[in-house]
Amino acid sequence: MTSSHSALQRLGSRFTLVLVIVAVSLVILEFVIHRHGEIAAEDFPIFPAIYGFLAFLFIVQVGKWLRLLIMRREDYYDE
Amino acid sequence: MSESISFAISSWPPGLVMILAAFAVPWIPHIVRQAWMLGAIALSAWGLTNGAGIHAVWQVLGLELVLYRADNLTFPFALIFHIAAALNVIYSWHDRKWSEHTASLSYAGAAIAALHAGDLVTLFIWWEMTAVTSVFLILASGTERSRRAAMRYLLVQVLSGVLLLAGAAVIAGHTGSLAFERMTFGGPDNLGVWLVFIAFGIKAAFPFLNGWLQDAYPEATATGTVALSAFTTKLAIYALARGFAGTEMLIWIGAAMTALPVFFAVIENDLRRVLAFSLNNQLGFMVVAVGIGTELALNGAVAHAFVHILYKALLFMSMGAVLHQVGTIKASELGGLYRQMPFTMVCCIIGAMSISAFPLFSGFVAKSLTMSALGDTGLVWVYLVLLFASAGVLEHSGIKIPYFAFFAHESKFETGEAPIGMRVAMGIAALLCVAIGVFPGPLYSILPYAVDYHPYDASHVVGQLQLLIFAMLAFVFLVRMKWYPPEIPSVVLNSDWFYRRLAPALGRPLLGFVMMVWTRFIRVIVWYRDQFWAIADKIMHAPITGPTVPGRAVTIQAALLALLLVIGYFLA
Repeated sequence: MTSSHSALQRLGSRFTLVLVIVAVSLVILEFVIHRHGEIAAEDFPIFPAIYGFLAFLFIVQVGKWLRLLIMRREDYYDE
Repeated sequence: MSESISFAISSWPPGLVMILAAFAVPWIPHIVRQAWMLGAIALSAWGLTNGAGIHAVWQVLGLELVLYRADNLTFPFALIFHIAAALNVIYSWHDRKWSEHTASLSYAGAAIAALHAGDLVTLFIWWEMTAVTSVFLILASGTERSRRAAMRYLLVQVLSGVLLLAGAAVIAGHTGSLAFERMTFGGPDNLGVWLVFIAFGIKAAFPFLNGWLQDAYPEATATGTVALSAFTTKLAIYALARGFAGTEMLIWIGAAMTALPVFFAVIENDLRRVLAFSLNNQLGFMVVAVGIGTELALNGAVAHAFVHILYKALLFMSMGAVLHQVGTIKASELGGLYRQMPFTMVCCIIGAMSISAFPLFSGFVAKSLTMSALGDTGLVWVYLVLLFASAGVLEHSGIKIPYFAFFAHESKFETGEAPIGMRVAMGIAALLCVAIGVFPGPLYSILPYAVDYHPYDASHVVGQLQLLIFAMLAFVFLVRMKWYPPEIPSVVLNSDWFYRRLAPALGRPLLGFVMMVWTRFIRVIVWYRDQFWAIADKIMHAPITGPTVPGRAVTIQAALLALLLVIGYFLA
């Protein structure tokens, strides 16, 4: 659309790039330091990463389903 | 002389001086008023220098009311309540109307006074006062919508107070003591303990008792919501920590509180309501910590409440600034404001990173205490729920709030930064969020128990970063695939639905039936009354007591006189 629109997109791409770099380095760090958690399951390699990723997808998916159940028109309570 | 004054004021319960100062607020001109309020808060905070102990007791009606009790638990709460009150004054610097300033100063004062209540009756008095003062912050929006929300809010808050008083009465009846101390279920005063527990639970927004929070907070003014977010719920956390530390039930209640609001926040369109759901989720972490009840856990609850007040206020302030500038806070209408409001954007992101518990931000150093304490209990499932909820916090507060307000798509609005007062308050809060995150020492030093805890070990930092960064990757993935659900103008049903929709739907027919029976009953009474007067008129159709109103009056007087004479006869 306009040049500022592409600026926003550029910002997004840069953000994604940085995020991926950080994510990869965190996975590498996993094998450099000895990471241990509060509970046994957390000691499994890159457990927090997997858990965080899946939890996020799960939350959004449940949110989508929940919309069918409890989302109403904006003036629902105004009648 | 000066010493006697200082002695007098410092033995007042902290907060009281703020309530008294609030009475003068309407008559003080605009800028002087802000200085006056800051002065009152400073004076009240000075009272905290008394240190631990019981500093004011009031004998009234045979009751011993402990107005001012300070200890290791009250101090951190009192300190952060004063800071929040001062931030509110700065944040609302531009507001020339006196009404909200009065409400917000007396509300903060009442909450601070409530922290120092040593008995349940004093607690009840301040507990109700927080309700009565804060409702004006919602009313101040001035719309029919906010008026209705304010009335619902007031009803729920007052109900909480009534339950507290009823519980106090039952407890005092069994134990003979009104002292506000640790309570246990299952004793002879079980009913009273339950009543107090539910009273606290309402203000702490337990599941199904939480509707008022998401209902009312987002209806307050841009400045009002910031004040509301700090006090009521954290007062409830304090009360739970004082009265119910180590109550196992709280672990389960708290876990539910952390997880459930997450799903609601994802689909909510009003960004301040998203923050209200997020507030609920944060309270869950504190409730779990109170439920665990160990020294480490209670430190976690208090530290979390302390930092939470700052970053939640910061997030509400940034959204308030957006609302103040563009007049809406709906995610479906906002976006792209990073150009027009860069400072607000940076502050919002600092708040977002703090609440998401990124290392070097305040949430990290506080939440770690609770998570470690939870790890020690061996409750693996609860731990996994809280870890899941941490990803949820990142979703709604860490990403959704800044993303939809400041990025997402091109801005539709021509606007600039918020007034200077708003920016200064946001700046201070943001600075504190980072400072506490980088140097947790001072915060740890004021916690109820001695702290030997180091949040920054490599293992812990990497683990937390993995959780957060990969959750963010999931977000980027969903947005890039266009699978992230779009924001839709809508209402999300919550537990307030039960009293806003279900109760009227069931109640109206019931009320109709009761009213029908009542009208019938009244009709029967009226019939008998008419019959009575018809007979009376027939018997006494003399000129004085004819079927006229004065005539009837004379008859009644005669009857009363006769009654008096009979009584007199028996007494004599």
